[in-house]
Amino acid sequence: MDDKLNIVTTFLHNIIVYNIPLLYGTVGEITIEKSGSLNLGVEGTMAVGAIFGYILGCYANSMLVGILLAFLTAALCGLIFAVLTVTLQANQNITGLTITTFGLGVFFFVGNGVKAVSWPAMNNYPNIQNGFADLPIPGLSKIPVLGEVLFDHNILVYLGVVIALVMWWYLKYTRTGLRLRSVGENPAAADSVGINVRRYKYLHIMLGSGIMGIGGYYMGLNMNGSLSSSCWTNGYGWIAVALVIFANWSPAFAMVGTVVFGFFNTLRVSGPSLAGAFPETLGWLAGVPSQLYQALPFIITALVLIATSVKKSKHSGQPAALGLNYFREER
Amino acid sequence: MRVHIVKREDCPLLKKILLIVGAVALALVLGGLVLLAMGVNPLEYYFKMFTMGMVGNKIAYKAVENYLKILVPLILTALGLSLAFKMRFWNIGGEGQFIVGAIAATAVAFQVGPVLPTPVVLLLMCVAAMAAAGLLGLFVAALKVKFGTNETLLTLMLNYIALYFLTFLGETKADWNFFLNPDSARPTFASFASLVSFPRIMLGKFGLNICVIITVLLGVLVYVYLKRTKQGYEIAVVGDSMGTARYAGMKVSTIVLRTVFLSACLIGLAAAFKVGTAGILSTSFTDDVGWTGIIVAWLAKLSTVGIFLVSALIGVLQYGSTAAAATFASVDSSFADMLQGVILFLVLAADFFTRFRVVIAKKEVERHG
Repeated sequence: MDDKLNIVTTFLHNIIVYNIPLLYGTVGEITIEKSGSLNLGVEGTMAVGAIFGYILGCYANSMLVGILLAFLTAALCGLIFAVLTVTLQANQNITGLTITTFGLGVFFFVGNGVKAVSWPAMNNYPNIQNGFADLPIPGLSKIPVLGEVLFDHNILVYLGVVIALVMWWYLKYTRTGLRLRSVGENPAAADSVGINVRRYKYLHIMLGSGIMGIGGYYMGLNMNGSLSSSCWTNGYGWIAVALVIFANWSPAFAMVGTVVFGFFNTLRVSGPSLAGAFPETLGWLAGVPSQLYQALPFIITALVLIATSVKKSKHSGQPAALGLNYFREER
Repeated sequence: MRVHIVKREDCPLLKKILLIVGAVALALVLGGLVLLAMGVNPLEYYFKMFTMGMVGNKIAYKAVENYLKILVPLILTALGLSLAFKMRFWNIGGEGQFIVGAIAATAVAFQVGPVLPTPVVLLLMCVAAMAAAGLLGLFVAALKVKFGTNETLLTLMLNYIALYFLTFLGETKADWNFFLNPDSARPTFASFASLVSFPRIMLGKFGLNICVIITVLLGVLVYVYLKRTKQGYEIAVVGDSMGTARYAGMKVSTIVLRTVFLSACLIGLAAAFKVGTAGILSTSFTDDVGWTGIIVAWLAKLSTVGIFLVSALIGVLQYGSTAAAATFASVDSSFADMLQGVILFLVLAADFFTRFRVVIAKKEVERHG
């Protein structure tokens, strides 16, 4: 019985461990979209944060440096996006897709370039290795099952949850958050009451991109810093774009969404062991094709998109001016 | 002194061209600086890249053949996307439409390839691919027209659903799965190259694939369709202003449905050409053509002629960087993606100056206003 309990506990624990980057990506993208910009460059932005955060963090042998540089380099991607779409009025879809092409290019160019000389292996850097180790919260982590599932994680898991909560509070309850939402809903109206639309957009595009970058950094660390032919971000950036819709543009729901999407994501890996532990009730899991789990986030989101548009839902959190550039002289 | 930004009515063609050439040149200079920092001579690298390693190469005709193989699907996909983009319908589902088209074409090749004559099979493959891709596009367009569903996000989701469906076909051993090679213990896609493939016209050693000729012809057709037909005119009006189109009595929803269907059909055809030339599917066979096609269509400002030119350039970057990587081992072929990104950033920036004018207003003018 203990064995079975362990398998379930590990499964639930892994849902959090492997999917927290989705939360970073989603909260970052919500921050950007609430300012009215649709940035399809999540995947590339995460990749840029990941590669610079990891390599420079290792060189400095400091987790904090890693986090900061992941944030800053990803925020630079956000700056490019902002200059092009906010100031130079370029199309948001195209700019975002270009950020992704560019970011993945940078990831492999820098990664393979460093690898050709000497790749920093994570276990040579004790501060990174230990910094990413699990940090049980005293007391809470002793609760059976739940303790290990929720309160025995590395520091970046806690940071991700804290960022999500702070952003939720910021968007919902602060003055600047309210103003930001008004920029996303109706920039002309916001402008006419004296809100500096351009500054709001710039700052939040950069902030959101930076948050995504930390998510990318997390993925690098979680892969133990080993570089292969596929990018660390591994399509999570695109799932994050989907998750924003599923979460109805709320960072709080993004946490729920991360667990839901993460559940399927993790089931893909843990399905066979669960089926083995509970052959009678969960034996059928072994027969589910793994690609279905991979496709499910996108299937669910497609259905949510269709359903909300059919219902013409009034409660949609989608900013009214999402994807539209604001040209001040045309008010 | 105050800076004003004013929309331009039109911009001289020469200025547009100069801005774009300038942006590309600047990107190459920036890339050159990166190369210099790595201790690689940028001129030598770019020479290798832009000649695609053909100079002094005895089998240079092979390089041209391979280059055209990259070019055909890219041009057709970008042409298809440009139809939808002209109406500001953000079909970013090229990747998904390409995949379902290729699956349909492959299914036809396996099912009727052994029994029907080759030309018929090829035709059926194209029709099946166009129908599959077209219907996927139509599905999104119908939801958009009826309920206002966000087409950008929905087509994005469909890309991944299609991709995982393809992976599922490629990784699932089963009796029904005729896509796989029955002789292999591990799941691998089966080749249908021996059954059917697009013919080539031999010009000496160089084989000109018939798909290349059809692509050029389709380019002319699309050009004429957009510039000279009533339907092409309707697309332009809808793209300019939905309101105007409705006011003029056009059936906007019919136009959107029809155009998106055509758009996706062309992408399906691109897929049929691609898979019909390769003779085999793979989970990464798209080469991201659905994504790159978007960038090409946009760089070309949705102009049909422009799409051919921009595709040629992007093709050189992609194929040339692989060729150059053979000589310059220290420069990863991902350099092309990075360079492509920088080129596009700069072109997008330069584009601002073709659409807007920066006017510096003097003080007294401001007081007046």
